[in-house]
Amino acid sequence: MHEVTVALSLLEGVETFARAQGIERVTRVNVRIGALSGIVRDALLFSWDVASAETLAAGSELSVEEIALTVYCERCESERAPVPGSGLLCPACGLPAPRIVSGREMHLVSLEVPE
Amino acid sequence: MKLRVIEVAANLMVKNDALAAKLRERFAQSGTLVVNMLSSPGSGKTTLVEKTLTHLARAYSVAALVGDQATANDAERLARSGAPVRQITTGSECRLDASMIGKALTGWQPERLDVLFIENVGNLICPAEYDLGEDLRVVLLAVTEGEDKPLKYPLAFNTAHLALITKIDIADAVGYDRAGALRSIEAVHPGMPHLDISARTGAGMDAWFAHLEQRIKAKSLVGAR
Repeated sequence: MHEVTVALSLLEGVETFARAQGIERVTRVNVRIGALSGIVRDALLFSWDVASAETLAAGSELSVEEIALTVYCERCESERAPVPGSGLLCPACGLPAPRIVSGREMHLVSLEVPE
Repeated sequence: MKLRVIEVAANLMVKNDALAAKLRERFAQSGTLVVNMLSSPGSGKTTLVEKTLTHLARAYSVAALVGDQATANDAERLARSGAPVRQITTGSECRLDASMIGKALTGWQPERLDVLFIENVGNLICPAEYDLGEDLRVVLLAVTEGEDKPLKYPLAFNTAHLALITKIDIADAVGYDRAGALRSIEAVHPGMPHLDISARTGAGMDAWFAHLEQRIKAKSLVGAR
């Protein structure tokens, strides 16, 4: 729902990094987006094309790695992936496991640039 | 064309989190309690905040920021309480962020406030991600909504400190399943305190006010140090 803003802050991150590194062109941007972030992949891809036009990342491919929700279950002492729609319940023992391990990511991971 | 990959490893939320930390520091110094109210549209947030501002204004210095995508209706309703209210029109944005709060406070003297209410945009997804420098994150669940809302929007309920079950006066009429709602809350945030309230009839409002007053006093002591 806030894909345009996320695309713009992503672009800001890319431009800041590229300038500091003397990078003139970016061909691919790799990001990691968590399942809880409320970001719709297709909307983000569309927003990225619009946001990155006429920048050093114009025409670049946005590669989105979607990260599933996982929680830490204290009873099982392990990381678990709750059944979607069950909240934060451990799928093994059924107890609430409110410690979120992954699923909140909004990370700019890496850039692909011409040599 | 030969290509190479360069690691960046940047968290896109860093900027918001840093701005939120600054706001938090500022409000710690002034001893102002900041309350961020999250809910779906139509859960009774504006009515609740209006009644709360009216009540607290008798004893405390209170103000509110209200986020709305398009209209100023909510801000106008809140202003009826007599408390200073500022509207943040978010346009296409589905949530408030820390920079919007910082800008909305420009030219104000929030340092003189005991409490600042932030009525977030009606949405349980995006606002959950954005720290606004608040002390207290309150999530509303109206009895007219599905009891499984916490399961559908786990982050909002997981990150909140208090849940308010609103419109409790019509619970029976709409067949509200209390046990089911509490089970859903427990599934995402075990032990989170919750209060049943009705801003319209006043039911449960004393407990909500008492909760706030306790927090206001605790925060003002910290600020005075």
